[in-house]
Amino acid sequence: MNQNLVFDDFIARVRAFIGSSLSEPDSASLSAAPSDSEDFEDLALHLFRFQFENVPVYRRFCEGRGVSEKNVHTWREIPALPVRAFKEFDVSSLPVADRTSVFYSSGTAGQKSSRHLHSAVSLGLYESALLRWFSHCFLNFKDTALRVSDLGSNCDPFVGELAPSEKRRFVILTPAAEQAPNSSLVHMFETIKRVFGDCDSVFAGDADSQCGWTVNSSRVVAALENAILHSTPVIVLGTAFSYVHLLDFVASQHRRLELPVGSKVLETGGYKGRSRTLTKCELHSLIETCLGVSEAKIISEYGMSELSSQAYLRGGFFRFPPWAAACVVSPETGDEVGDGEQGLIRVFDLANARSVMGIQTEDLGVRRGDAFELIGRAELSEPRGCSLMAV
Amino acid sequence: MFADGGLSGDQRLFHSVVVAEIRYSLNMCVQLDLPHYFLADLPFGAEITHSMLSDACDTLIRNGENYLPEWTTEKLISMFDQLGHDWLNANFPHRKYALDQGPEVTGFSRQTLANGLDALFETLNRESLEELIIQDLGELNRLDGFADSRSGSRTRHAALARGPELIAQIAAGSIPNATILMIVFGMLARSAQLVKCASGSTFLPRLFAHSLYEVAPKLGACLEIVEWRGGDKHLESVLFEKSDCVIASGSDETLTAIRQRLPGRGRFLGYGHRVSFGYVTVESLASSRLSDLAGRAAADVVAWNQLGCLSPHVFYVEHGGRVSAVQFAEALAGELEKLEQSEPRGPLPTDQASTIATRRSFYELRASNSPETVLWSSPESTSWTVVYEADPLFQVSCLNRFVYVKGVTGLKQAIEGADAVRKNISTVGLASTGPRAESIALEFANWGATRICAIGQMQKPPLTWRHDGRPSLGDLVTWTDWER
Repeated sequence: MNQNLVFDDFIARVRAFIGSSLSEPDSASLSAAPSDSEDFEDLALHLFRFQFENVPVYRRFCEGRGVSEKNVHTWREIPALPVRAFKEFDVSSLPVADRTSVFYSSGTAGQKSSRHLHSAVSLGLYESALLRWFSHCFLNFKDTALRVSDLGSNCDPFVGELAPSEKRRFVILTPAAEQAPNSSLVHMFETIKRVFGDCDSVFAGDADSQCGWTVNSSRVVAALENAILHSTPVIVLGTAFSYVHLLDFVASQHRRLELPVGSKVLETGGYKGRSRTLTKCELHSLIETCLGVSEAKIISEYGMSELSSQAYLRGGFFRFPPWAAACVVSPETGDEVGDGEQGLIRVFDLANARSVMGIQTEDLGVRRGDAFELIGRAELSEPRGCSLMAV
Repeated sequence: MFADGGLSGDQRLFHSVVVAEIRYSLNMCVQLDLPHYFLADLPFGAEITHSMLSDACDTLIRNGENYLPEWTTEKLISMFDQLGHDWLNANFPHRKYALDQGPEVTGFSRQTLANGLDALFETLNRESLEELIIQDLGELNRLDGFADSRSGSRTRHAALARGPELIAQIAAGSIPNATILMIVFGMLARSAQLVKCASGSTFLPRLFAHSLYEVAPKLGACLEIVEWRGGDKHLESVLFEKSDCVIASGSDETLTAIRQRLPGRGRFLGYGHRVSFGYVTVESLASSRLSDLAGRAAADVVAWNQLGCLSPHVFYVEHGGRVSAVQFAEALAGELEKLEQSEPRGPLPTDQASTIATRRSFYELRASNSPETVLWSSPESTSWTVVYEADPLFQVSCLNRFVYVKGVTGLKQAIEGADAVRKNISTVGLASTGPRAESIALEFANWGATRICAIGQMQKPPLTWRHDGRPSLGDLVTWTDWER
């Protein structure tokens, strides 16, 4: 069978799994560990075999560990590729001709960017996954509303249209996709706006010539004031540093906005030296003060361009959707740590169909059941001593 | 031992007043069972206030004036010679204490601590102290009074060296060597000293200070050990105001920040962070037994868990010997595993272990995709890691026994590879034999290395070592020349 057809068939199965995973619009279905389902296990083991055979850099990595299709029996045994592989290699099973999109990591100044390659089909899977989990966590659709699972099948999940009354107002602090075509985050926001956004939803960020992002704070404030005037709830989407810029602007004008009831805020990503750094608590408190959105309505996202699914902070901990699983592993042994213990976050994401499903991140977390608490990035912590790298 | 008599009433009073000021949260002192001689003996979490620190500086200066003149150089040398011997004695209470409590407090394993203390205190003896004074000051008795230059000098010039009234030492990091030796040098210079340690790293300097206090309470009364979180400008300003010499170690940014805040008078000695590496020549690979050389290289990596600025990050190995650079790396890995059995690294906090795991997985990935990278690592732990890379570019290690081996065609390639850290190089450990050793040493010296030693000795500098190329004792003193 043609390799692409095998993958496309597999992707259709994952989409079906995504469609059926979240039958209830609230968190009831999250109490069980979805990754322990037979479907997840079956899909994960299939995907491992495909990827082992078709992603050369991954195959060599597995073989270096003495792992092959024959000795992986559960999804937890699937080798996780270090996330840095995306900086050094093309981590992809896609033939060159089918690589129609590429997402680069925003990266930290002076570092190489990672690249995540997509075809039209794998991009469709990314969109299905992000829409499904975002709507589940953020948008409480009424029964009558169109759900993402109803939005179509195969390559185009957006056949349907939401009723105008179900559309939401988004104010997005990043540049739009035409200014940042290689950002997976912007693609995510663009997709959300396209499917769920009303006609007054806006991107209010700009990209400069060095691909740095700035927030057009006046434009944001104008859009928010318009929503306040019409009592339209707003969903603000942005990176942590873009909020700092916006909130500093609002504070400098000695103003305080009171967003309409039902408004929400999503913040994601680190600061990467683009603004002063705040703790999550400080940021949320500032958002509450300046925008009038209570802590309960502020949601943090954990995502990266090397993944196709996102985790949202729910009930104090980050959770991935049922088609992705996060483990916290001991840096010493690589084994999963006990509940409440610290380690490195490892993610298995079925929506990473054409790259690699098992990703070893460089982020530290605390295991909380099948969810996790985020602590920070491992590479930033250096040992103490008088040597050069010491802090 | 020396009988210095009891402390004066005011000295005792000072300590008891300070201790009474503190509200206890967790009584570290009781846990460590040490008397309350120093501010660092106060309970964990005790707040050091501006006025406490100011009073401490005034007391130190006063005690220095009263007690230090009683000490001649000879008496100091005898005392430190004895103290050095004591610390090497397995039954010496402070050493026992350091080894019993140290693993939990410092994170170093008992054997790593024992070897580190041995290397340090083996240098603290009469012969080394005399050599140091003669090296830095020319004559042994110049700290006692005017002394002429050595015979043979045609001039009749005499000179006297005097140390600062109060030295403020701002110590960084968890390796005690530089801090402890600076206490010794400060005492030789008859200076009262306040040593401010990084938070959580007072343990060994404090034990040394206690051992000094036990044998010479009046000298101990001229020394203060204190700890607070770095960057407290309010407290630091007291030190800068009261002391006439500030010695600091830390990052270049830290040193620059301190320098900018010092009043115009007084002396500033800054020791920036440094890196070191080893260089293995083709002749040494041919003539030495590989396991012996690799064993000595491993000892350099293992000492103080590689956290010191004298610890090697990289071993450059010349191509073309009987043993290849990859074979050297493999032998080094084998020796690190052996040492892990006898001198374990000890547990690491999760963040530091994660840094190692993350870096290892990156090299594992490279190794699986290219023969130019090879990885050896301790099984089921992050205890040690060796990365061989064909690329000669210097890599700064994440430390805790993580070392690179890089093959090079010769000295030129190594020097070019390490160019990015040229201004931060401390030690080059050199394995070379015959006349080539001299020319290589000269090249490294011209390039900027301030210390060249045998592999296996990198973390064992002699007492006379000129720290970062400067005379440690000589930099403390101010001279008076008498042209009689």
